[in-house]
Amino acid sequence: MTVVIKLGGALVIASVLGIFVFIFLQIWPLFRAARVNELKTVTVPPAAYVAMGVDEWGAKPFLVEADGTLLFVDLGHGTSEKVPVDFGDAGEPRITSASLNKREMKIVLGTADGRYALVSPGYKSKAVGRSPHVTVDPKVESVRPIGLPGVPVLDVAYGDSGTEKLVVALQGDGETNTVTAALTRRKRSLMGAGKDEPAGEFDLTGFIPGRPAKLLVSANGKEITVVTDSGDVVFLAYREGKFEKLQTFRPFGDLADPRVNVATFIFGDVSIAFGSDSGANRVFSLFYPPGGKDRVFGLTHEFPSLGASPVFAVSTLRNKAFLIGGGHTVSLRYSTTDTVRWQSHLGFQAELATISGKYERMLLLDTTGRLHVYEIDDPHPDSGWKALFGKLWYEGSDAPKWEWQSTGGSDDFEPKYSLVPLVFGTLKGTVYAMLFAVPIALLAALYTSQFLAPGLRAVIKPVMEIMASLPSVVLGFLAAIYIAPMIERQVPSLLLVAAGIPVIAAFFGWFWSTLPIRTRKWIAPGNEWLVFLPILLVCGWALWSLGPAFERIAFVTTDPDTGRKIADFRYWWPAATGASFDQRNSLVVGFMMGFAVIPIIFTITEDALSNVPLSLRTASMACGASRWQTALRVVVPTASAGIFSALMVGLGRAVGETMIVVMATGNTPIMEWNIFSGMRTLSANIAVELPEAPHNGTLYRTLFLGALLLFLITFAVNTVAEILRQRLREKYKTV
Amino acid sequence: MSADNALTRTHAAPGEPFVWLTAMGLAVGLLMVFGLLGIIVANGLPVFWPDRVVEAQLAPGVANPVPGGGSTVVGEVVQKRIKRVPILGPGGEVLADQTEVQFFIGNRDVYGATFAFVNNSDIKSLTEPPGIFRIERLEYGIAFGFPVALESAAGSIAADSPDFLSRLDKAVAAATARRGQIRHIEKIEIGRINARLNDLRVRDGDPAAMAALQADYDKLAARARELREEQKADIFVYRTPTGVERRLPVGEIVSYSLPNQMGFFARAALCAHNVWNFLSEEPREANTEGGIFPAIFGTFVMTLLMSLAVVPFGVVAAIYLREYAKQGFFVRSVRIAVNNLAGVPSIVFGVFGLGFFVYFVGGSIDRGLFSEYLPTPTFGTGGIFWASLTLALMTVPVVIVATEEAVAAVPRGMKEGSLSCGASKWQTIQRIVLPASLPGILTGMILAMARGAGEVAPLMLVGVVKLAPSLPVDGEFPFIHLERKFMHLGFYIYDLGFQSPDSEAAKPMVFATTLLLILLVVVLNLTAILIREKLRKKYALGAF
Repeated sequence: MTVVIKLGGALVIASVLGIFVFIFLQIWPLFRAARVNELKTVTVPPAAYVAMGVDEWGAKPFLVEADGTLLFVDLGHGTSEKVPVDFGDAGEPRITSASLNKREMKIVLGTADGRYALVSPGYKSKAVGRSPHVTVDPKVESVRPIGLPGVPVLDVAYGDSGTEKLVVALQGDGETNTVTAALTRRKRSLMGAGKDEPAGEFDLTGFIPGRPAKLLVSANGKEITVVTDSGDVVFLAYREGKFEKLQTFRPFGDLADPRVNVATFIFGDVSIAFGSDSGANRVFSLFYPPGGKDRVFGLTHEFPSLGASPVFAVSTLRNKAFLIGGGHTVSLRYSTTDTVRWQSHLGFQAELATISGKYERMLLLDTTGRLHVYEIDDPHPDSGWKALFGKLWYEGSDAPKWEWQSTGGSDDFEPKYSLVPLVFGTLKGTVYAMLFAVPIALLAALYTSQFLAPGLRAVIKPVMEIMASLPSVVLGFLAAIYIAPMIERQVPSLLLVAAGIPVIAAFFGWFWSTLPIRTRKWIAPGNEWLVFLPILLVCGWALWSLGPAFERIAFVTTDPDTGRKIADFRYWWPAATGASFDQRNSLVVGFMMGFAVIPIIFTITEDALSNVPLSLRTASMACGASRWQTALRVVVPTASAGIFSALMVGLGRAVGETMIVVMATGNTPIMEWNIFSGMRTLSANIAVELPEAPHNGTLYRTLFLGALLLFLITFAVNTVAEILRQRLREKYKTV
Repeated sequence: MSADNALTRTHAAPGEPFVWLTAMGLAVGLLMVFGLLGIIVANGLPVFWPDRVVEAQLAPGVANPVPGGGSTVVGEVVQKRIKRVPILGPGGEVLADQTEVQFFIGNRDVYGATFAFVNNSDIKSLTEPPGIFRIERLEYGIAFGFPVALESAAGSIAADSPDFLSRLDKAVAAATARRGQIRHIEKIEIGRINARLNDLRVRDGDPAAMAALQADYDKLAARARELREEQKADIFVYRTPTGVERRLPVGEIVSYSLPNQMGFFARAALCAHNVWNFLSEEPREANTEGGIFPAIFGTFVMTLLMSLAVVPFGVVAAIYLREYAKQGFFVRSVRIAVNNLAGVPSIVFGVFGLGFFVYFVGGSIDRGLFSEYLPTPTFGTGGIFWASLTLALMTVPVVIVATEEAVAAVPRGMKEGSLSCGASKWQTIQRIVLPASLPGILTGMILAMARGAGEVAPLMLVGVVKLAPSLPVDGEFPFIHLERKFMHLGFYIYDLGFQSPDSEAAKPMVFATTLLLILLVVVLNLTAILIREKLRKKYALGAF
């Protein structure tokens, strides 16, 4: 039996500690670096390849040769197969440029005679056992002339908005380079997919200062970026049927060598990663400059130099990572968090690269005709110390910020996982809760232990402890549905009551103490609270009713809608302080959390005060001190350790409170101290987001990290409190 | 300090005003407790008391919020409150009477809305139409109307004929009985067949057996269809206060009453009936109507399972810490760790329950024992078992602390006496210590149960749902279904208040549920506190 007990006890304790271990195991993958391992190498027939792409399963990449042939490599078997692309009656054009629209999985080829061709590899997959079996069926979708006839197309790119395709071609005959954009519109018909019809050509050369060298088109065909060979970048937008030049900038204007070697749109088409000839690497994103009315590019991320002249830069279809490489160096970098996920000096020179759609496979083609296949193991690139606790410059924002916004409406949404607004929210909720709870709890505990009639203590204590038994879901519900709407209109009344009641209490006490003994004997010491209850009710009600009058005097402001003068605190507050006024705000939350925190502080403080030895109190009174003087100067200092520990335990409770915060604040992850606005705390965040977080995804693990933070905070606070409490126990232990 | 001392002083002692300040603190605290309980009782109790239905005559020229209502608004008065936007008179001046009245007008299928707001100053008069019916329906909630006729296969009876009410009563009673039969067939008998069919299908069972079950199913389904047709046979024709005539199959009527014709005792009886329905029926209309029996049952079963898990482990751990482990730094730090765990936010336990119990242990069980059902999870998703274990882990510190204090309070003399009589350590514990500390253990268990009944945050992650299709304990083998999701009173409140399509309509239900939950929790806590107080007096010498 002894063994059973020992085993059982050890088991319980182990499980209690196991929680900490389990949570820790869930979160450490967040901080791991990326692991990139070479899986295999496949030799491909030697040829001049101009582009490379891969299917979403990473099974059959293709290489585009200069004559338009597609070479499909079967990575599983290590073989490759040439598939000539049938251009039909367009003949056998000589391909001079190629680019891949990854989102549409189509290749656009530019020919030497001034035409472009759209080719689709035709990937299809069938699940055979565990792995997919991928087949290809390449088809030419259209061949059309563009720009100047007969002039070779040096660079081509296209975007597809669903109804319109925008193909942009850079043509050059050796002397001048021109840039032309061609639109094709797809008419939707009831019989299925309609046909593409040409809808106009635009000559963009006039917009570009210098010699255009490279083109980028966003996947939806609405934005075009042209890089010149002197390092200028021109940003053009296609809006309302015409092209507008929105901006010209020099990504590397401050460097000695400003030439841009490589550029690629990052997934989402809001940022571009640039690589200069000297190896510098910067990311520019679109955002509204202060006072501007169009989004233009600005420098948002700077990465360490590649150390070599970059030859390629590719992005993924899943996150904000991009791969940049040149010479023997290849580097996988993540735009949002400013981190280099992986960088390596390889034994070969890579000239073409691609990353599969699921961010799992990386393919590098080296100069000797070998295709290297790598496996990327990087499940949480958007996380890390900086992402969780530092300020990041997110896409679309005009400055680095702390933000929590974990989900968005589209696949290319950039999740923002900073825990700082949540920690701030926890702090804010705790501060306001303690602000309200501590005075009441301490005063009540002091009265109960020192001045209350001794027989009543056994009744009053349980009554106050009933407050502790109220489930927090009930408190939260009442706060949000009942109290918040009630208080919203009555803030001045509340202010009057909060300020007036203590004054009245003190005043009544002073007044009472000036009366002669004949009158004063009617209230025996210990019954003050009983007398005070009706006074509190009457005065509270009176002050509450005076609220509207007070509002009419003190809180007059102009109604934004009608322009008249109105007396309404809800409009006065934003006008006077610039901060917002929400119905569900920290005032309500602080008040309701008081219900949860007051009984804890009350019980422990009362215990601490009552355990001060009677001999100290009687000795003090024998020396002539009044009951207040005894309480304040003898009892409270003696019990101060216990009082402090009570505050800490109450603080721990306020930090971890979940349901009240979920229901009674707006759950907005903002960072302001405004008492009339909401907050989002760590605990509420977990409760709200964990049920929908994908298992083992970044959000899931980040929420566990939030739980660990909560655990650590309460652990620290409670340990300090417990040590103090045990010391107190030993000091005042009776035999 | 005795009363005499104070009276012989000639002036007041220094610091007296501050004593009053502290008295204020206690008064405020007490007011908060009673105020909150009072709000809940004041809002929760009237939910069951039948209201009068009033007809408000609007002043001429006032737009009627009820479509087609003419100049009257008919409904129950829900509340009078100060309007948020100032009510202005014809000249643009702010009126003296800023109250607006909220009417519950029902008839959602006709009006589109359930509530109407009218300025108090726009109401000319309020009367109580005597013959109005209040009909509780299966769909679309409450209907108010004047009866026109009861149509059945035998013919139609007009509303003014003498036996109309008795016929209606009989029809409604028959419909209720039939509804019970339909429910029995569908939920229990067909449910049983479906479960067996599903089982066979998953395990690739005998096609003959499956065909036989399918035949049984078809027979039962036909019978249920028959009964449903019978439910539609009788039609109750009524006219809404706006004059729209509606035809309602009697099978859809849950109950009806004549609110303006009931005396005090009739209303008291109906109130008691309402309370009973509230406690015993299942919810309807997205949980805004009907009863909360599944939530009560779910809370009860989960608390029971939790106690079964927590009490043995907690007691064993406490005895280990107090009696067996060497008292020293290690035990003190373990005690600190256990006390810390009592302070850890409940959501952290929920997170642990989800990650460890549900995904890890549940997933492993699924892969081992229930792999035929995958990818549909059996234990790899939230359920009552995991919820109970999670809450048990959360409340184990409470039990450990309470047990430890109780065991520590047993006088050493008793233990030493037992040992000196030759009893072993375990015998001493079993026969002397445990019985003496039983009240303390009981206190711990009650406190744990109270906490488990009230906590919602961890449950949201491990198995509580808005509407559970079946109870975790029912008549089908294996009788206790540990993998089923369940309903819980606390989550019910959260869900109704915040995730329901019409939280105004849900308010009465939420207050009533809150009242029940508060009653439960307060009673449990008071019991624990009283036991503790008695215990403290009993062992006052040894305890601290």
